[in-house]
Amino acid sequence: MIASFDAIAALDVIEVVLALCLTGSALVCLFDRHLVRACCFFLAFAVSMTLAWWQLGAPWLATAELLLGVMLTGPCFFYALGHLSPGASSPLKHDTFNEPWSRVAMRVVLALAWFVMVGAAIRYVIADMVYSPSEHPLLLAGVVIAASALGAFALHRHLLRRLLAFNILGSGVFMLLAGVAGTSAAAQALISVGLLVAWLGSMLGALLIRQLLHLEGVEALGRDGALKERTT
Amino acid sequence: MIWRFGLFDSTFEPLASTHWALLAALGLPLLLGLFAALFSPKRALPVALASLPVLASGVVLLAAFEQAGLLRWQWEIAGIHLSLRLNGLSVLLLLMTQVIGVAAALYTPGYLRLSETGPLARWLWPLMGVVLSALSLIWLATDLLTLYIALELMGLAAVGMLMLSGKVPAIVAGMRYLLLALVGSLTYLLGVALILGHWGRLDLQGLAEVIEPGPVAWFAAALIGAGLALKAALFPLHAWLTPVHENAWTPVSALHAALVIKASLFMLLQLWSILLPETFYAPRVIAWLGMLAIVWGGLLAWRTDSLKTLVASSTVAQLGYLMVAFPLLLGPDIAPLPRALAWEGFWLQLMGHAFAKAAMFMAAGNLILATGESTLKGLAGTSRRLPLSLLVFGIASITLMGLPPSAGFTAKWMLLQAMIITQQWWAVAALLTGTLLTAAYVFRMFRYSFDETAPRHRYQPLAPGMDMIALTLALIAFALGLLAHYPLELMHGGSP
Amino acid sequence: MNAAWLPLTALATSLLVVVIIFALPEEARRLRTTINLVAAVVKIILVMLMVRRVAAGHEDIFSFQVIGGVDFVLRSDALGVMFAGLSSLLWLCTTVYAIGYLEGSANRKRFFGFFSLCVASTIGIALADNLFTFLIFYEMLTLSTYPLVVHNGTQKALDAGRVYLRYTLSAGVVLLLGAVLLYTLTGDQSFSSEEGLGDYLNDHRGLLTLIFALLVGGLAVKAAMVPLHGWLPRAMVAPAPVSALLHAVAVVKAGAFGILRVVYDLFGIELSVELGVITVLAVAASITIIYGSLRAIAQEELKPRLAFSTVSQVSYVILGIGIFGPFGTVGALAHLLHQGLMKVTLFFCAGNYAEELGIHRIDEMDGAGKRMPLTSIAFTIGALGMIGLPPVAGFITKWYLGVGAIQAGMYWIVAVLVASSTLNAIYFLPIVHRLWFRLGPSHGKGSWPKEQRLGRLETHGWLLWPMVFTALVSLGAGLFAGLPFSPLDWAARVANGEYLP
Repeated sequence: MIASFDAIAALDVIEVVLALCLTGSALVCLFDRHLVRACCFFLAFAVSMTLAWWQLGAPWLATAELLLGVMLTGPCFFYALGHLSPGASSPLKHDTFNEPWSRVAMRVVLALAWFVMVGAAIRYVIADMVYSPSEHPLLLAGVVIAASALGAFALHRHLLRRLLAFNILGSGVFMLLAGVAGTSAAAQALISVGLLVAWLGSMLGALLIRQLLHLEGVEALGRDGALKERTT
Repeated sequence: MIWRFGLFDSTFEPLASTHWALLAALGLPLLLGLFAALFSPKRALPVALASLPVLASGVVLLAAFEQAGLLRWQWEIAGIHLSLRLNGLSVLLLLMTQVIGVAAALYTPGYLRLSETGPLARWLWPLMGVVLSALSLIWLATDLLTLYIALELMGLAAVGMLMLSGKVPAIVAGMRYLLLALVGSLTYLLGVALILGHWGRLDLQGLAEVIEPGPVAWFAAALIGAGLALKAALFPLHAWLTPVHENAWTPVSALHAALVIKASLFMLLQLWSILLPETFYAPRVIAWLGMLAIVWGGLLAWRTDSLKTLVASSTVAQLGYLMVAFPLLLGPDIAPLPRALAWEGFWLQLMGHAFAKAAMFMAAGNLILATGESTLKGLAGTSRRLPLSLLVFGIASITLMGLPPSAGFTAKWMLLQAMIITQQWWAVAALLTGTLLTAAYVFRMFRYSFDETAPRHRYQPLAPGMDMIALTLALIAFALGLLAHYPLELMHGGSP
Repeated sequence: MNAAWLPLTALATSLLVVVIIFALPEEARRLRTTINLVAAVVKIILVMLMVRRVAAGHEDIFSFQVIGGVDFVLRSDALGVMFAGLSSLLWLCTTVYAIGYLEGSANRKRFFGFFSLCVASTIGIALADNLFTFLIFYEMLTLSTYPLVVHNGTQKALDAGRVYLRYTLSAGVVLLLGAVLLYTLTGDQSFSSEEGLGDYLNDHRGLLTLIFALLVGGLAVKAAMVPLHGWLPRAMVAPAPVSALLHAVAVVKAGAFGILRVVYDLFGIELSVELGVITVLAVAASITIIYGSLRAIAQEELKPRLAFSTVSQVSYVILGIGIFGPFGTVGALAHLLHQGLMKVTLFFCAGNYAEELGIHRIDEMDGAGKRMPLTSIAFTIGALGMIGLPPVAGFITKWYLGVGAIQAGMYWIVAVLVASSTLNAIYFLPIVHRLWFRLGPSHGKGSWPKEQRLGRLETHGWLLWPMVFTALVSLGAGLFAGLPFSPLDWAARVANGEYLP
């Protein structure tokens, strides 16, 4: 009992708070059907990520996250929602697509399996991690975020939500990467490239979502390629 | 295996002219693409003139390799090591990329003029440039960071290209591809993270020396493999491929199926040969999936009614041939002779397929453009009116079927020989079945085209040269069969 | 002195013609005709040059390396030159005939392009010096024949094309497997190497038998041996010149020639006897001969009857291989040429009847001898040759086969020969009887199904003269069999090479 208290006491309070913030905002962003709120929480998530990088001693990454995550990727989502361009026809509000329960269950199981696999990999495979998960709750947050984002990615059909899930998944993976490999120059370079790619991908995705909305309306956003093939 | 990828020290330093050629090979496609976005070319001639220096750079690099053997470049920027190498394989792949890229670029002006492409057409050029530059970088790069950058650049640009047609199904399919590709690269990144965390370096040559088999290597290989297999459309992760091609522009499809997919496969093989040398199960799994891919892809192509789906599904099956060779390349206890045969057969098959598939997409595009029909039934009676397009399709499909004297045949011969020596009878059966399945779907298409009883339609005339470009590519795939000795010799060169 | 250019040029002439024909527009009829004829004549001259060089003891070789351990080799040897000679001679005749036959029809560019490719493939098959090279041209032949079979573009033709591909491509896969197995076992094995595969007999007897079965099984499809003959009668929907080419030279003969190569040049006759596969081959050939003849009797249309006759007749070549001894070999080789000449004559005749009078069925042929005397005489010569009556070429073959069988002590083969000749007579003589001795439309009884007056003579000159020529050659090959450079003489030369080291 005392030992565990010691362990908790050894943790940095700021880091714990940050980890909680990250996880919380990520979960809201991933699972809130109200799209505007989800996007707002994505911004909050990106800001917490910036702080987390700062906390982990990687100011360069913090800058990159601030620039690419908060200032560039965030607006992409609002553009996709139709809140940035004044003449946009139909601002998106809610995700109304529903999945059959069997599919949901299957996806959740898949995501859980992935979570267990990555967790096991980190726990048993890599004994000498730069940031040990037991000392750095941020890493634990990374694992949780990555797993739940993957679950959300597999679960949602709404393209915007899948795009959000991808971004959160990316951040989770970057966090894991930093935890496993530290914040060496090579790791920072990898993460920065990843952030850049995430921004470009989100921008492309947002453009496409707008285009789809323009051409087909909201229904097109929930259309899966495979489903479409079957219907035509 | 490692030395085959040129992961060893070079004897000579590259000359100044080689530096310039390298710079041109990597940068020129991008620059020319941007330039073309500003002044979009209306005819093939300016494109041909502009692509001359690109091809020249490839030839200079080839000459440099022939003279000096393996060449390496290394830089250190802010504590990050970047490195490139030029061995026989990368020269070959580079030349292949340039030739197919130039062919696609030459094909583009005519295509854009004839089909209603809309305002987005201008964007095709820079995206094409990015894809070609990134591809060249992938063939040369030998550290995980550069590879990651190039892979991402290529992937994003490829997604962009595929969706330029702007139709709803294209966007839906493209969006799906985008999301899958992005997630695939995150998986790859996680694998790289494990490697970086455990061995603390990213350069392949160094990693090849320090990596020993163990759980970390396995996990990293699994993650990297999953990510790249998704991007390479390896069975069973191929579902995104056909819808994407169904609606894309012809030159884009040609580039994508011929080159972009191959780049991921190349990386997969290269990284696995470092992470999993002499492993039993992982390559076996790939090979079994490959057998399924051959059959499944063949059946998909056989059942379809759409010409483009036929061509795209055949890619799935053809990648199966390459997957089946994995145990010979990576498996344990393979004697030097079958391994060498499999290695040469693998790359010959890859190159032959690249040229043939590009030619086939162009021929199919020509047929669709001229007839205005995209179904097989709509092609009825085309043999009389569009003999050349059909001939190109035919020559390309000979390579795909693996009938002599095409590259597909020679490659299949070598793979079969390697498989027989190592007594992998299932793989032999898969290869032979693949031949028959390919013949089945290809001749299904010809059956329609030879139908003389069909009603006559008005055909739109094609721009000059569109058929000839496709024909050239198809003939290259053909010629690689009998003239395989030189390129394969090139891959031997520069061994330590 | 090695004249490497000679086999290469012989091959390149037809390939070049293919390229030129495809490059010319559809309307350039005269130019295409000229090029076709010039190339055919040039090819004959080249083959004659090769014949002279081979007769003088030179075997010209052209080769380059394809991959490690596998070469592309063209070599003009006696057997190859024989087949090349047959194909180039008949190419000229068939081209002339086809020009007349297709006058005014559509898609002639495609037809002549693939026609030339087909012949280029047969030249390649003839000159190939190892299994790899042979396989290349063998598959090329398969592919180039498909557009010819489906040329008419009707539903029936397309179906026939599908059946044709099913048979030949599956056979190609089997052949490929056999070839790769052989290469894995022995490495590159030239057809001209003296040692054969005898060294491998002790350790790899089973594997050798398997390879033999795969190779011959793959080749037997093109040679239309029962039960792999199903494609041949269906392919009859093709235009007459194509049928003539398919049945007389290109496809079926390529199969038979391939089996000759495998038995004599690859395995060697001693090894084949040692493996016990020769007898199997002889039995299979006998079954094919009898079965084909029986089916031919049942046909009521002319072309299918000729097709089943081909099924039966080509197996004489295989039967000749099955008879161990020089006479059998001479018979087999001579039949390769003789059957080609006679069968092409018969198909030309069938085509002429169909074009001029619209005759497709046998019971429509009554009295056609009066209306078309030259055609009917040619048909009679061909038919008598097929039956094996002297002095037509077919007699020579059967004589040698019979003598060979008696020498080898295989008396049952004599019985097969007698039975087959009887059956041949049963299905050919009624036609000859109808032609000459029945009263028909030309005697004022009934009318022809669809009569056209195509030329001043009994039919179009382009259709008539090639047929007359081949009929005369078939007759001459029998009459002057003793002269040097006659088919028989050349066959004896090849057989000597095989049996006398």
